[in-house]
Amino acid sequence: MKHRFAVEITKRLPGFTLDVAWTAGDGVAVLFGPSGAGKTLTLQCLAGLIHPDAGRIVVDDRVLFDAAAGVNLPPQQRRVGYVFQGYALFPHLTVAENVGFGLRDRPRAVRDTRVADVIARLDLGGLERRRPSELSGGQRQRVALGRALAIDPALLLLDEPLSALDAPLRRALRDELRSILSGWGTAAVVVTHDFTEAYRLADRIIVYESGRVIQAAPRAELLWQPASEAVARVMGLRNVLHGTVVKAMPDRIQIAWRGHTLEAVNSPTHSYLPQPESPIAFFIRPEYVRLVRKDRSAPDAAHHMNLMRGTVAGEADFGTVWSLRMRLDAAGAPAQGDFDLEVEVPHLVYEILDIEHDRHWEFSIHRGSIHVLPT
Amino acid sequence: MSADAVTALALSIRVALAATLLNALIGIPLAYVLARRAFRGRALVDLLVTLPLVLPPTVTGYYLIVVLGRRGWLGAPVYALTGWSVAFTWYAAVIAATVMALPLLVRTARAAIESVDRELEKAAFTLGRSEWRTALEVTLPLAKNGIIAGLVLAFARALGEFGATLMLAGNIPGKTTTVPLAIYTAVQTGEMGEAVTLVLALTVLSCAVLVLAGRLGARAA
Repeated sequence: MKHRFAVEITKRLPGFTLDVAWTAGDGVAVLFGPSGAGKTLTLQCLAGLIHPDAGRIVVDDRVLFDAAAGVNLPPQQRRVGYVFQGYALFPHLTVAENVGFGLRDRPRAVRDTRVADVIARLDLGGLERRRPSELSGGQRQRVALGRALAIDPALLLLDEPLSALDAPLRRALRDELRSILSGWGTAAVVVTHDFTEAYRLADRIIVYESGRVIQAAPRAELLWQPASEAVARVMGLRNVLHGTVVKAMPDRIQIAWRGHTLEAVNSPTHSYLPQPESPIAFFIRPEYVRLVRKDRSAPDAAHHMNLMRGTVAGEADFGTVWSLRMRLDAAGAPAQGDFDLEVEVPHLVYEILDIEHDRHWEFSIHRGSIHVLPT
Repeated sequence: MSADAVTALALSIRVALAATLLNALIGIPLAYVLARRAFRGRALVDLLVTLPLVLPPTVTGYYLIVVLGRRGWLGAPVYALTGWSVAFTWYAAVIAATVMALPLLVRTARAAIESVDRELEKAAFTLGRSEWRTALEVTLPLAKNGIIAGLVLAFARALGEFGATLMLAGNIPGKTTTVPLAIYTAVQTGEMGEAVTLVLALTVLSCAVLVLAGRLGARAA
């Protein structure tokens, strides 16, 4: 199967403008971003429930909407499956009637076969005669999926498919949803504001902010190379910092920050070469900062890369890890309010190093763990 | 119970049933349109439908004469063409009762339709249903209890209609004298036994109807 779809839409609402263009293909595309960024609005435009002001929507060479050509297929003719945030199951119909709702035009025998097939594939056997109110959250989600998939949609849309569930179920169903989507082979667009969810489900992630797309990339690329500071903030990355370029080379980049000169790996694909003295944003993942053990001599020089000293100015216990807020031994105001760097250490490390009583530490960051954010 | 009382009771039930049927035919589509469609003049339609709820019934009756009377806007051409007028027939009683009961049905049904989650309708659209079929298969079935409660209220209102009926249909024994009119006549002529019988009959019937409406309303909520 080879799917291709392209979305290019503008929609002006009071106090909000959606203006996005992106493409996706086989697999799952996730629209990721904060609430109110226009993700659901995009889905509704794709489904034909909202009429964009301008643009073009093409799914597998089929034009669903083209403002210039005056094409606007009604939702009934789009063959786009929609799984609503609260699932929107018909409460007065049974599971089987819900799943078969979109197959009304087919002959009875065809419909029954298809419904039975969908119910079997989604592991809903035995629930055919139940009403939605008699189902668990996970079962409801599968019925909603089955109802949308039964019509053999050209494109499947899922709006926050896991938000109606509580945390433990959410994790289980995230993986189940991933396997259903890949097993079914239908191209899908999923909306979520949770990055973990986006990363687990996506082949490609499209990052939304305030009605615009700020990055569209395969998920791994997004994780390791956010295109800008805005993307890093939407992703919820911690330790997003600002320094000054000392020297930029294709493979390395040196950054002056808080009295230190940090060395970072330059983005190999984007070959970003800012001028010396220009401001630069970068981020450091808290779990990639290494504390230097005082009871051992350093095993190799790399351990001392980007070496800094600081004091624990604050800490928080997250159950499995401790988050330490380090303030550097450097003059000037700290970079993030009352601290410079958030460092994450597992509980075991916290206990072995007795961080509870020993508050002053040296720490180092490998150059590959300092990520430059192009502007 | 006297023969006249039985006639009045039978007529009242017949008129109320006919008015309820007309209410269903006019009121349910009207409630749907008011709940789900934005159109020019919606506020005006809403106002006109609701007005009989707040106007004195005699005023509503007067307007009905202005429109449907022998010299009314609609009544005059009909009379000129056919020599027949709806005024002072049992149809007039049905029309008066329909107009008076309509706001109760429309308001109740509209609230019930508005409470149906619009996402369900959108889901039906993406599954190939037209708006018309969606209304029949999703919206109205889900608003069913509220609509039935509205119909029961409309029936009760039609059963008790007095003022507008008197204006448009008059008080013709055996023809347009419904129970409320018969009670009025009985009291006026001093037939207290007859009045009490009819009062009790209407009270029992109305109570039964309200209890039914209450149950349906509770299920709808």
